[in-house]
Amino acid sequence: MSLLTTSVGSFPKPGYLTKARAQHSRDEIPDEALRALEEQATKEWIAFQEDLGIDILVDGEQYRGDMATYFAENLEGCEVSGLVRSYGNRYYKKPVVTGELRREGPITVDWWRWAQGLTTRPLKGMLTGPYTMMDWSFNEHYASREDLALAFAKVLHQEAKDLEAAGARVIQIDEPALSTRTDELDLVVKALGAVTRGLSAKTITHTCYGDYDRVFPYFNKLPVDQIDLEMSNSGLDLLDRFRRDPLKKEIAFGVIDVHTHVVETEPQVRERIERALEFFAPDKLYVDPDCGLKTRTVEEAKEKLRVMVNATRAVREARGLR
Amino acid sequence: MVSTTVVGSYPRIGDAPEEQALRRAIAKFDEGVLTEKELRKIERSVVREVIQEQRAAGIALPTDGQVTWYDSQSHFARHLSGVEVDGLVRYFDTNTYYRQPVVGGPVRWREPSVADEWRYASSVAEGPLKAVVTGPYTLASLAKADGRPKPELVGEFADAIAKEVRALRGAGANRIQVDEPAITRNPQDVALLSQSLETIASEKGKAWLCLFTFFGDVAGILDDLTALPVDNLGLDLVQGDRTWKALAGQGSRVPLTLGVIDARNTRRDDPGRIAKAAVALKGKVPLGESYVSPSNGLEFLPRGKAREKLRLVADTAKLLEAGL
Repeated sequence: MSLLTTSVGSFPKPGYLTKARAQHSRDEIPDEALRALEEQATKEWIAFQEDLGIDILVDGEQYRGDMATYFAENLEGCEVSGLVRSYGNRYYKKPVVTGELRREGPITVDWWRWAQGLTTRPLKGMLTGPYTMMDWSFNEHYASREDLALAFAKVLHQEAKDLEAAGARVIQIDEPALSTRTDELDLVVKALGAVTRGLSAKTITHTCYGDYDRVFPYFNKLPVDQIDLEMSNSGLDLLDRFRRDPLKKEIAFGVIDVHTHVVETEPQVRERIERALEFFAPDKLYVDPDCGLKTRTVEEAKEKLRVMVNATRAVREARGLR
Repeated sequence: MVSTTVVGSYPRIGDAPEEQALRRAIAKFDEGVLTEKELRKIERSVVREVIQEQRAAGIALPTDGQVTWYDSQSHFARHLSGVEVDGLVRYFDTNTYYRQPVVGGPVRWREPSVADEWRYASSVAEGPLKAVVTGPYTLASLAKADGRPKPELVGEFADAIAKEVRALRGAGANRIQVDEPAITRNPQDVALLSQSLETIASEKGKAWLCLFTFFGDVAGILDDLTALPVDNLGLDLVQGDRTWKALAGQGSRVPLTLGVIDARNTRRDDPGRIAKAAVALKGKVPLGESYVSPSNGLEFLPRGKAREKLRLVADTAKLLEAGL
């Protein structure tokens, strides 16, 4: 198969779910009521992706808040901080590691199993990577950043093994903080390797928004089968770098800018895919948005995905790819 | 006597609903249901609250917490000619973002960026208040300026920031800090930094001028920095802990702001251990004229933790003073 389409992970939450989450945080509705609405939203996103013809699905993370605190809430040795500013008027909560990290049980597996049961197409298992978990946490327990990253890697490896045992054929381990400190890239490789060690499922790491130029020499060292990269927000600048240092892995190539309300046109996206095909073989090239779409409205996200799928289909047909 | 200060930013909201007035006001302003005048009024009440909070914790030289700043780069860029403000870019190795200035023409000072804000904050400060500006080297380093030679760009930003310093003096500021975190990433550019500081110092008049570097160490350029025409040198001695050793070896002729309380982590610092390490610099550094502070701005912490860190700054200063 060539030019398979997929998504990076999160989708926007519909209004009814956003409202219910706020009510739940004020103890106005019980857990079961929230869960029912999270399931409803997940079903809607799975059905949308199937109807559109996306090849590898995600559950849209309708039951997760922040990608790091979701895991912090479900790990022993971890708490959640007060609000911290991200930018402008946006605030988030961070994990606070207060003791030895331990997994009380599987964190994502039940949701993955339930959501995979809704479709015959492969559904990604989604984890936040150990380096990112470390970098985005306050550390009140471990002696060093490396110790903490490897402690996260240990519990995430257990989670990945459980996902695999449940039947996950594709496991994505997000590392958006990968490019934060380029002097720690060896640690990223080590920690990610401790998660993917011994897995037979296809492994992917997604990263975005960083100094790719300095990170570039590490792409081939990352112990995963596929690298998922934001490409469109930076005007495909990175492509030339691939001419000098060819990627030896599969690539999921971001063709949709997730940070703009403007929906790309089909010719724009076709051109991005055609540019990517100058560098990557069609069977190694996956097409997806730059990043999770959760910051867009539901309608914007759907339109962007529709354009992405139509453009990919058009390129496949024009080139006689199957 | 060892004194206490902060680096600049402070969490503008807390977790309690009554501490979230500014967040709610900005959301309402964005929705068009609050006027700019109403928003500014709430902003000012938070500035007052933040200054009071610092004083109550024992900070002798507070700031306005940079409550009105969108970020440390665009807050200045918006008031300069020749610069536009563009999309979000990660701010150093933090998980926060700034709007990137894009240089399209000669950079020129157009109007005050912080002088008017300082004037108001000072009027409610009930004591000395430090003014903070982002330094020209950092402004030039974090801006997008394709094709512009860096020395030329730093020079233009230096002229602009020097004019801001003049405006601050006009507003009555007599304690001014220049933030230069970017030099910790490119210490080889210290000559550029030195030239720009000379430009700024030429406008400082009788004001006390501090250069603060953070997010890393300056061990390799400490001699260059202590030779600058500044009255105080602020150092991040947490993320830049390598600077401790350089200080022990080379010392400093200028008084320091010792950024010893970790402003990037919620872990409780140990004032006793820190004061002991600082006392070891006796004879090498004019500690009696120096300050204790957090390692960088406190906005990377939740408000409750920031308050705790302020108290730790005060505790450390007392222990250091007692040890001298």
